[in-house]
Amino acid sequence: MSGYFEGVLVLLAINVVFAYGAYLPLAAGQLNLGIAGFAAVGAYGSAYLSDTFAIHPILAIPIGAMFAGLIALLVAVPVLRTRGIYLALATFAVGQIVRAAILNLEFLGGAAGYPVSAFVGLPVVLGFALAVIVVVMVLFATRFGIALRAVQDDERVADLMGVEVRGFQMAAFILGAAVAGIGGGLYAHHFSYIEAQYFNIGLSISIVLYVLLGGTQTAWGPLIGATVFTLLPELLRGSASLRYVVFAAGVIVLMALRPQGLLTRATIQRLFDWRNPPIPGVPMASGRGQ
Amino acid sequence: MTDTSILRLDCIHKNFGGVNVIDDLSFEVQRGSRTALIGPNGAGKTTVFNLISGVFFPDSGSIFVGENDITGIKSGTRIRHGIARTFQNVRLMPHLSTLENVILGQHSRNRGWLGALQPVNLLPGNRWCEEARAGLADAGLGDYERASVGSLPYGVQRRIELVRALMAQPKLLLLDEPAAGLNAAETEELQIHLFKLCQSGDLTLLVVEHDMHFVGALCEAAVVLSFGRKIAEGTPDAVRDNPDVQEVYLGKSASPVSAASEKKEGDRASQRA
Amino acid sequence: MIGQQIINGVTLGSVYAMVAVALTLSIGVLNFLNFSIPGLFMIGGMALWALLDAGIPWPLAVVGALVIAVAASLMVERFTWRWLRGAPHFVPLVSSMAFLLLFEHIAIAYWGSDMRVVPEAFSGGDWRIAGLVIGIPQLMGLLCSIALVAGLSWLLASTRTGRALRTIAEDPDTALLLGVDINRVVSVVFIVAGLFTALAGILFAINYRQVHPFMGEAVGLKGISAMIIGGMGNIWGSIVGGLIIGTTEVFAISYFGADFVDLAVFGLLLAILILRPTGLFRGMQPVRFGI
Ligand SMILES: Nc1ncnc2c1ncn2[C@@H]1O[C@H](COP(=O)(O)OP(=O)(O)OP(=O)(O)O)[C@@H](O)[C@H]1O
Ligand SMILES: [Mg+2]
Repeated sequence: MSGYFEGVLVLLAINVVFAYGAYLPLAAGQLNLGIAGFAAVGAYGSAYLSDTFAIHPILAIPIGAMFAGLIALLVAVPVLRTRGIYLALATFAVGQIVRAAILNLEFLGGAAGYPVSAFVGLPVVLGFALAVIVVVMVLFATRFGIALRAVQDDERVADLMGVEVRGFQMAAFILGAAVAGIGGGLYAHHFSYIEAQYFNIGLSISIVLYVLLGGTQTAWGPLIGATVFTLLPELLRGSASLRYVVFAAGVIVLMALRPQGLLTRATIQRLFDWRNPPIPGVPMASGRGQ
Repeated sequence: MTDTSILRLDCIHKNFGGVNVIDDLSFEVQRGSRTALIGPNGAGKTTVFNLISGVFFPDSGSIFVGENDITGIKSGTRIRHGIARTFQNVRLMPHLSTLENVILGQHSRNRGWLGALQPVNLLPGNRWCEEARAGLADAGLGDYERASVGSLPYGVQRRIELVRALMAQPKLLLLDEPAAGLNAAETEELQIHLFKLCQSGDLTLLVVEHDMHFVGALCEAAVVLSFGRKIAEGTPDAVRDNPDVQEVYLGKSASPVSAASEKKEGDRASQRA
Repeated sequence: MIGQQIINGVTLGSVYAMVAVALTLSIGVLNFLNFSIPGLFMIGGMALWALLDAGIPWPLAVVGALVIAVAASLMVERFTWRWLRGAPHFVPLVSSMAFLLLFEHIAIAYWGSDMRVVPEAFSGGDWRIAGLVIGIPQLMGLLCSIALVAGLSWLLASTRTGRALRTIAEDPDTALLLGVDINRVVSVVFIVAGLFTALAGILFAINYRQVHPFMGEAVGLKGISAMIIGGMGNIWGSIVGGLIIGTTEVFAISYFGADFVDLAVFGLLLAILILRPTGLFRGMQPVRFGI
């Protein structure tokens, strides 16, 4: 396998993991703009473990992810008290604080960055990515997954059905942070060097964009979004910035034409369900107003 | 209170922005009965449902379910007291399939993380999944299992919402205008279906409905609201003949019968299935 | 020393304040967190540099940079707010984030990602009063921002457009019923946002004499913090918020070092979001959230 192809696959796998980290809270209707911060916790946490205590990366990465989840747990109670745009901004602030904290921590290398000696290759990265995908897919076929999406659709009704809205939102937020932490750990151990600057708001935005582009209606959305928008720019020869231009323009056009994202439930139904195709032309139910 | 009542509202007041939407309302619903809550538009019927299900708390007064005072209980736990409801403007989860919507209805029967982590929609044959499918099949909705609910016709969505509410195995089911938007044949079908559901005696229905034929055919008791106050109570026939009730409906037409259901006259035999 | 730092803090703060005003106007009137604003800030600064670099004289270059930024802002309006009304609530936010990426990487594609040096605007013109040094650009910047904010307040308080804006902020449906031409009025919000942000970028370029494609991010993020500290939707609150953050930053740098600044600023932001989400001054409560 050529080095270039391998590099693309690694990037793809890590982006997919990040995307699922952002997807979990989004599926419950929460925009986490601090996802890069949690990825950073996972990256630095696992790198520190594998470096200082010589823990094997395959073990260090999940432990780093648990750190990320722990930080998420600590901030979840106050941060999830806020809602809507305030929640997005609070998570954004958390991400910035994590980054700033790392810059100030000498034992993590501060602004100079942190070299990671342990290395994981493509197979391990792909293995972790696959595991994340499978776990999230299974999770979304459980009552937990159904309840999460119900919370996104209609918090009030979900509550009346007995769904513990708060608990589910917390769980999704924490789990998402841990998944992002796995992505960070993979990044650290594959590229052998991390710096706080990498985990900036631009990274959070890109990750969130993958998810929204793929569509949040089904658990396939993040996979599709991250894949399409990692690979598509690669197809273009040219500078990195040109790829970003294409990515951003793609987002803008897609959001205008198809705001639900690439993959919707109706699309899947149309593609895979021959017995019950969506009925074209039947108007959406409109209530009589309450 | 008699031990045969499943729901009791006691001197309930509810005020929205200075307007008394519910004004000193008291009534009881008998266990196992099919009771109608009727009244002109804006009388406060939906608000009563919202108070019972905990969307709002009353300003004063108490609500009892069986022996339990649920007045101050959070909305999310009321379904555990056996209260389920449907909504006047159907509120299914548009991003869930029909089957997932119905499975969501079982949520209150599961406790804790073990309940939440059951793979209900992964492999066919799961107990909960089969139960939900059976519920859909019973209601004649088996064909729509995998469909996304947003694309389904309004009448079908209403029926799915009813199945979803039943999945909680409620003791008291609140139906907010279940026949609205249904044609005459569907309305009759619904009425027969609801009647059957109640035959075991475990389920009590409280129904808001404008269609007095429907109410007359289905319900054995009725409570009439006007401007948030109870103006009459009794059998559907009795309240229909009550001069106060006729007075309230006069603004629109002579009686509640013609007020809402002229369009459905045709094929309905006066039957009590 | 302290006096000098206050002056420097106010200079920096007035840049943040103008960005915050642009953000707060957009959120207060449209309930739209416009993430493209850091991009517009960068466009103001970099376009100024590019035009100067092409040999265009100062006044024309400033006007040119403003025009470019306002045009970009109107483009954002076309593809976020206008198209997407009625779409899921996060969509305008997402599209505006994409615009930020778009602007940054177009700038890199055109001008490269290097730091560029802006020539000195007013040579030899420092005022020295009682040991304090006040640069002419600092003074100009301050005057400009005061003038702009005063102008905006006047626009909102006493013109037809201002009344229309306030009606939309309170209830868009009522505004439609009253026959407000929403598209036209909304354009005004974007024009003002473009103007304020770009001017902030230009002042930043003149004062600090450095521009680069990512210059908007740090400032934009602090603008967001300033907006929240001042109370979302509250214009004068944003200005105070900007000044608080600017002075905090200058003092924190000199006492604790530059790396500590973000910790302080975003810690303050998080604390305010959690403890007092409406900000120090009562912001207008956004009616519908855009996520
Ligand atoms: N959340 C609320 N805030 C303010 N006013 C409310 C609220 N909910 C209901 N109301 C008011 O209470 C009154 C009763 O409303 P409600 O929906 O209960 O009537 P209804 O009997 O269900 O009418 P309909 O037959 O039209 O469904 C109305 O005037 C309505 O405007
Ligand atoms: Mg009603």
